[in-house]
Amino acid sequence: MIRQLAGAMALAVALVVAAIAPTRAQNQGAQDQKGTLVFAVESLGAQTLDPILEGRPGNAVYQAIMYDSLVGFDLKKGGVGPGVAERWELSPDGLTWTFFLRPGQTFHNGDKLTAHDVKFSLERQMGPGSLASAAASMKRAIKSIEVVDDLTVKVNTSSPQIGLPPSLSRAVAPEGAIMPKNYIEKVGEEEFRKKPIGSGPWKFVRNVPGDRIEFTAVANHWRGTPSFKDLHVLLVPEESTRVAMVRTGEAAIASIGPETMMGAARAGLEVVSVPGTMQAIFQFWGTWKPEQKDSPIAKPRVREALSLAIDRKQVIEHVMNGKARMPYPFSTFGYTEYLSNDRWEKWANEAYRYDPALAKKMLAEEGYPNGFELKFANTALPGTQFMVDIGTAIADMWTKVGVKVTLKHYEWGAFNPMERGDQAGLVGWASMYRTAGRPDVPWRYDGAFSPESIQRLLGDKDNCNEVCQDYVKTARALGSELDKAKRTALIDRMVEIVTNTWMVVPIIEGMGYYAVNTKKVGQFEAIPGRHELGDVFERIPRPEQKPWKK
Amino acid sequence: MKRFIARRLMQGVVLLFMVATIVFFLGRLTGNPVDLMLPEDATAEDRAQLTQTLGLDGPLSEQFLIFIGKALHGDLGTSIRMKQPAAQAFFDRLPNTLVLIPWALLLGMMLGIPLGVVAALHRGGWLDRAAGTVAVLGVAMPSFWLGVLLIFVFSVELGWLPSSRMGGPEHYILPVITLGTFLVAGFMRITRSAMLEVMESEFVKLARIKGLSETTVIWKHCLRNALIPVLTLWGVFVGNLITGAIVTETVFAWPGIGRLTYEAVIYRDFPLLQAVIILKSILILGINLGVDILYAYVDPRIRLA
Repeated sequence: MIRQLAGAMALAVALVVAAIAPTRAQNQGAQDQKGTLVFAVESLGAQTLDPILEGRPGNAVYQAIMYDSLVGFDLKKGGVGPGVAERWELSPDGLTWTFFLRPGQTFHNGDKLTAHDVKFSLERQMGPGSLASAAASMKRAIKSIEVVDDLTVKVNTSSPQIGLPPSLSRAVAPEGAIMPKNYIEKVGEEEFRKKPIGSGPWKFVRNVPGDRIEFTAVANHWRGTPSFKDLHVLLVPEESTRVAMVRTGEAAIASIGPETMMGAARAGLEVVSVPGTMQAIFQFWGTWKPEQKDSPIAKPRVREALSLAIDRKQVIEHVMNGKARMPYPFSTFGYTEYLSNDRWEKWANEAYRYDPALAKKMLAEEGYPNGFELKFANTALPGTQFMVDIGTAIADMWTKVGVKVTLKHYEWGAFNPMERGDQAGLVGWASMYRTAGRPDVPWRYDGAFSPESIQRLLGDKDNCNEVCQDYVKTARALGSELDKAKRTALIDRMVEIVTNTWMVVPIIEGMGYYAVNTKKVGQFEAIPGRHELGDVFERIPRPEQKPWKK
Repeated sequence: MKRFIARRLMQGVVLLFMVATIVFFLGRLTGNPVDLMLPEDATAEDRAQLTQTLGLDGPLSEQFLIFIGKALHGDLGTSIRMKQPAAQAFFDRLPNTLVLIPWALLLGMMLGIPLGVVAALHRGGWLDRAAGTVAVLGVAMPSFWLGVLLIFVFSVELGWLPSSRMGGPEHYILPVITLGTFLVAGFMRITRSAMLEVMESEFVKLARIKGLSETTVIWKHCLRNALIPVLTLWGVFVGNLITGAIVTETVFAWPGIGRLTYEAVIYRDFPLLQAVIILKSILILGINLGVDILYAYVDPRIRLA
């Protein structure tokens, strides 16, 4: 009887301690949060806190702060990692993904985050009025979503969708953001947009259009408990003003371009670079078309020679101020999944070397001892203005091996429509382009090389040569391959097919850059491949917590 | 007078229609918002869906007729980027620009008018040349460069003033100087030429013959009359300030209609761009009409002409 009583008392004490402990920890967490972290950024996109109304960059800059994503990051390596879902698995037939949610998650209004919210969020991203860039693809791929229990949700797909988890990770896209079902249904969409609720480590406070968005820290969060009490994200379009704000201490961190890095460092600011966020590339358009068969750039060895004529180290040193690196093959990075990364890193270091003598020799062997005329469209995607300088630099390098380059600069808005339809303005041209850092290869390759894609760089449905067919066959096999080793072999093959064509050639692997006032924030590291800091703020310490190493 | 106003209003309506037409078609020549909203690996299917969601899938002529039809009913469309009525976005930001304009005007007048008087009084002398240099500098200095320079000196190096953004009175100083410097030059040159003209007038000679002091002649009689053409240029200057605010507001991260225009262009937000330009045009037309009416009252020859 005494033993039973003692047992019951021990259990009661244990329950009380268990109940109190999180509260204490929460209070402790809240007490540790001090000050305001001020971040100045060049664009706030649509400046809306409704995830279905914002595209990729805006989401990663300021929505990631207050929303969690179904699939998260691998913080060390970059790429995909646990998020709202701790783990996920594919059914043997490849047609159902099951996501197992992290227990104990709540929204900022106290509502529990459950599988119902996941189902609601994914359906909302695919629903009417959604501006999600992948809404149509999701609708095509996802047949239905079932809630198994509060912590388990099944996504049934119409065909095997191996790449579904990455596409629901903020490492890739914003479509995995989880929104509160009950709250939105209760208050309506308009009110939700005014007073948004998420489940991230920062709560929404205020949105001042054209000026700022303010957040306040939550006490404890699985992504990390913020060290600062408040976070202000300021819209400051002019770069020199952003740097001035960091220098005066009005902002702690500001996004900058590579051209500003040296000045910022000279002014005593710390420059943080984010590895693996993009590749600056050049690519050739419509070389497979019958009317292009006699064009010099229709020959793979000519295209390879043009790559050998590029001194990438000079570009890295002088255009990127040393804050970039030699690239992996097209659209692959150190964190790319299902890829023999070491093999390709080694390959790239050799293949992307600078050898102008060999370039000249190869051009001569292909029948162009005196070079040829190359039309080159120079352009930069939004936020990567330095690409224009890279384009100008490589055009100059090609001139040195005898190629007569006709360089034409295009604003992105004028360039982008040319790649659609019959590509009349681009066929037979080379151009600058970019690929963003993402861990899954097939999606990006499909957009560039599938005969049905917009770019169709290897051929279209009516003109799909041997290489193009080889690519199609490999891509098709990959679509239904569930075995990891075989999948890696197929992706390696896909990369091999493309690298052998020299149709799309990386120039450098770029990075995101930030000027930091070391008196305002402590030392922190960004997530590889994740240009924006939306998922990093909760891990940024105060300066006294972790001073910067000199 | 009524006919004068009616004529001006009719001219304004025709002008607005022309502005709306030009903005609609020119805006679309700059590209497509879908290109900016989609990632580079978006499928054709995703593109088609977004184009349809944004209402950009119909023929251009059809889109134009819908736009004009709605505009006639006061609906200038919904911002593609902000998902709110474009006119509301404009009026939300308008006060932030309007708070800068009076101060910039005041700065321009307080410095420009006395400088113009001094230059006229010392015509050909070193003071005239010095004032002329100020005028040339004011017009020639790009406001972008001036703004950055002011931030560097007064915020970064001296630490006296905040570098940017809206806030207390100290936040207004640098943007107002940047915006107003152009006006100093404008007011100075107009005042100088008006003063020179008035100083040659018969009534000024008469005032001197009557034995009035030179100070009274210059500052009371000459300046009062010289200010009439100066004041009529207010409309032009306010128009310049409203349009010139784009650069100043961008440099100083000031959330006014100048920045809104910049954002509408950058994001190819056609409805917002159309609304901003049309509403700015209405604003400038209204101010100019007001000044014209005022001037017509002051000088009947204007109405008759």
